[in-house]
Amino acid sequence: MLNTRRGRLFKENLTAYLFLAPAGILILLFGLFPVAFAFFVSLHRWRRFPDSYIGLANYEKALGNLGYILFFWLALLVLAVGLRVIRQLSKSLRRFELKRQVIPLLAGIVCGYAVLLAVDWFFKLIPVIMLIPRQVRGQNVSLELFMEKFGESFSNPGVYPAGNLMLAGFLAAAAALALAAWRFRSESCGAVIVRSGMATAALLSAVFLLRLTLDETNLAIAAARDSGESLPIWSQLVFVSAGIFLIASAYIIFQRGIRAQSNRRFALLVFSGLSLAVGGYLLMAEAPAALASADDDLLQGFWVTIMYAGGTVPVQLAIGLLLAYLLFQPIRFRSFFRMVYFIPYITPFVATSIVFRIIFDAGKTAPANRMLAIVGIEPQRWILERSSIGSLLGLPDFLAGPALALIVIMIYSTWTYIGYDAVIFLAGLGNISGELYEAARIDGANGWRIFRHITLPLLSPTIFFLSLVAIIGTFQAFTQIWILRTGAVGSKVNTASVYIFDELQNSNRYGYASSMAFVLFALILLMTLFQNRIMGRRVFYG
Amino acid sequence: MASDRTGLRPPVNAKAPVEAPRPPIDLGRIAIYAVLFAGVLIAIGPFLWMISASFMTLSEVNLTRLLPENLLWENYATALRRANFLNIEVTSDPATGVLQSLGISGYIWNSIRITLITVTGSLLVCIPAAYAFARMNFIGRNFIFALFLSTMMIPGIVMLIPHLLTVIWLGRLSESLFGPAGAWFNNWPALTIPFFASVFNIFLLRQFFIQIPDDLWEAARIDGAGHPRFLVSVVLPLSKAPIMTIVTLGFIGSWNALMWPLLVTINDEWRPIAVGLSNFVTADTPGDLNLQMAASVITVIPILALYFVAQKQFTEGIAQTGIKS
Repeated sequence: MLNTRRGRLFKENLTAYLFLAPAGILILLFGLFPVAFAFFVSLHRWRRFPDSYIGLANYEKALGNLGYILFFWLALLVLAVGLRVIRQLSKSLRRFELKRQVIPLLAGIVCGYAVLLAVDWFFKLIPVIMLIPRQVRGQNVSLELFMEKFGESFSNPGVYPAGNLMLAGFLAAAAALALAAWRFRSESCGAVIVRSGMATAALLSAVFLLRLTLDETNLAIAAARDSGESLPIWSQLVFVSAGIFLIASAYIIFQRGIRAQSNRRFALLVFSGLSLAVGGYLLMAEAPAALASADDDLLQGFWVTIMYAGGTVPVQLAIGLLLAYLLFQPIRFRSFFRMVYFIPYITPFVATSIVFRIIFDAGKTAPANRMLAIVGIEPQRWILERSSIGSLLGLPDFLAGPALALIVIMIYSTWTYIGYDAVIFLAGLGNISGELYEAARIDGANGWRIFRHITLPLLSPTIFFLSLVAIIGTFQAFTQIWILRTGAVGSKVNTASVYIFDELQNSNRYGYASSMAFVLFALILLMTLFQNRIMGRRVFYG
Repeated sequence: MASDRTGLRPPVNAKAPVEAPRPPIDLGRIAIYAVLFAGVLIAIGPFLWMISASFMTLSEVNLTRLLPENLLWENYATALRRANFLNIEVTSDPATGVLQSLGISGYIWNSIRITLITVTGSLLVCIPAAYAFARMNFIGRNFIFALFLSTMMIPGIVMLIPHLLTVIWLGRLSESLFGPAGAWFNNWPALTIPFFASVFNIFLLRQFFIQIPDDLWEAARIDGAGHPRFLVSVVLPLSKAPIMTIVTLGFIGSWNALMWPLLVTINDEWRPIAVGLSNFVTADTPGDLNLQMAASVITVIPILALYFVAQKQFTEGIAQTGIKS
């Protein structure tokens, strides 16, 4: 049987899945499942062990009313994804007779629904299972006891009906799939099933999210009314959304205006500027109110993260590019330089952070202060300094900038990553064909113009990759801050990640920490998308 | 010089032969070397001072002397002992001198054990997966690969809590199977198993496996070898460079790990070196800067040694990840 073509294909598939199985199981367990699980935990009061369901209260605590607004947007986003899939679906439906597509369509819908039922069952089961370690604590843990508890959790009154529903759903899905495969085989059958399933799942999740958000919002408003206050979530939702919508559309118009050749361009520019101003005004007026009851430490964490990224990423990329460009010239000892530049990146961050801790000590004779003394600047308190760099330089308040202690961490971080950036830039430079330079030189281009019009555009994919890596890196930064922060500075250097970790380590608030982590995740995704739009357009994939 | 053909000469150098037949001093070239050597100084300056300071007395460190008056080797002995980096207890029979037991403990030993388990496990898990993605056809290959890659985007802090809960639960299960030795929390499984399936490693290996010529596979198949056989006897011997990169990266990763071990270890039995060093500096010896420097040097040495051995393949391997898509 295994010698036929089908048999060989089957065997190849089987071997491949066997090869993939260990990695797949581990990635499912430690890579994909955690995201859904973190979301689930964030909807609960959860201190080491699952407690009660509290809806969006954790998000409300983290971001104030903006938490609800974010969930409206999330629901709309999922809805948009569903609608997009439906558009694709209708395209592939139009290409064939509708009559032959009905059964696959239905099969897809049933499958999508069954998957949602399975998710529902799974997340009803999880908290019950998570309680097992607490139930068996103190007893002599044996496999029998554990398995008994494990079996009991399936017949738990909260879980059992959902399990039955899921089984029914899967039976229906299997029947529908079999019918589709038996009676209605066609080219588009598979695509129709997959797309209708995805559309069903996305639309139903969007409905679920919308209802969750609506219920929670109404509850919050009712609770506020009972205590005699008003909670203007709706107006804030409208205003903040309108503000962002206006800014986004202003941006698009602005882009078009720049590209337009005619006189209309100027009018468009003025119009976009106006709507930008109006949108910005609306946002400015309402966003602080929406954030009024937010967690100040978390907001500070986001602000620190943004300053940290803004202060390190451009600097380290620029210096890395400069070094790589110099290394690329015909010079001696190139591999020596490359090896040395890479050292800060590979040595353990804890050890090098400790050196920086000593170099930037507050003492008058510490290395950094000695160097300042040579230039004639009075000693600074560096890692112990919570005043901002702006106030130290005597600038007005709105130019305050990061605390000096954070500047030290930024210097450390730049020092660490320059070599990595340089090595990757060097590889990118090596990939540019020498003929292009040859041609440019024959055309009489000088060094700067060659760099500006040949090297830089052809290097843009590398720049894009490195800036993405660097930005994600700043959101992950932990070790250097852990070592370089001091009690005197307080939370002035805590990025969002560090604050979340503190919350987890010191107060065991798993639910709250999860919700904050999720907000951070959303922010990273948003920034990545934004960067993709902005830089992706300028990236030249020759 | 091969780079002369592809390389871009500095503008001064390119014009020099036309304008002046024999330039006495090439200023552009000197400037390049000056910048590059300044870079070298900045890159390794902190290390040089770290080594120098590790031999000083405390007051010499506080005064920022460049070099110690006397080399205080005992700083290292003190740091090793006080920081609990490495303890070796040899007990031998006093009468015959026969070795009875050898007890090794300490953070360095822990980190070495963790590294060995992580790297071995990671290779065992990632090599077959990467091979399947690179050289086999199966339903849903691109979809699964994209799914794997998408997990690289998720920030570690989001994973922290679910990982913790999963590890606690799986630990209970395995404790009921294997007894106390099967615990995950504060034991090696929590520190290693979540890192076995590294998407980055799979990606790195796949990029390499794809480049292996198809002729080799045709020849092997004619000789009657299947995929497993081909993987073991042809592909693996050819893949020393990426495997070396993965080993080095794994070593650096476990040597660096701080956040996760802080959460899942509660005593010194399996605590890795980064946590040990961090505790030594922040809690145990806030003022003994010279000891802190000695401890840092001890931490850095194994990584640097490995780096100097594997540096060529390693740097190449890292550079490859940046330009291939």
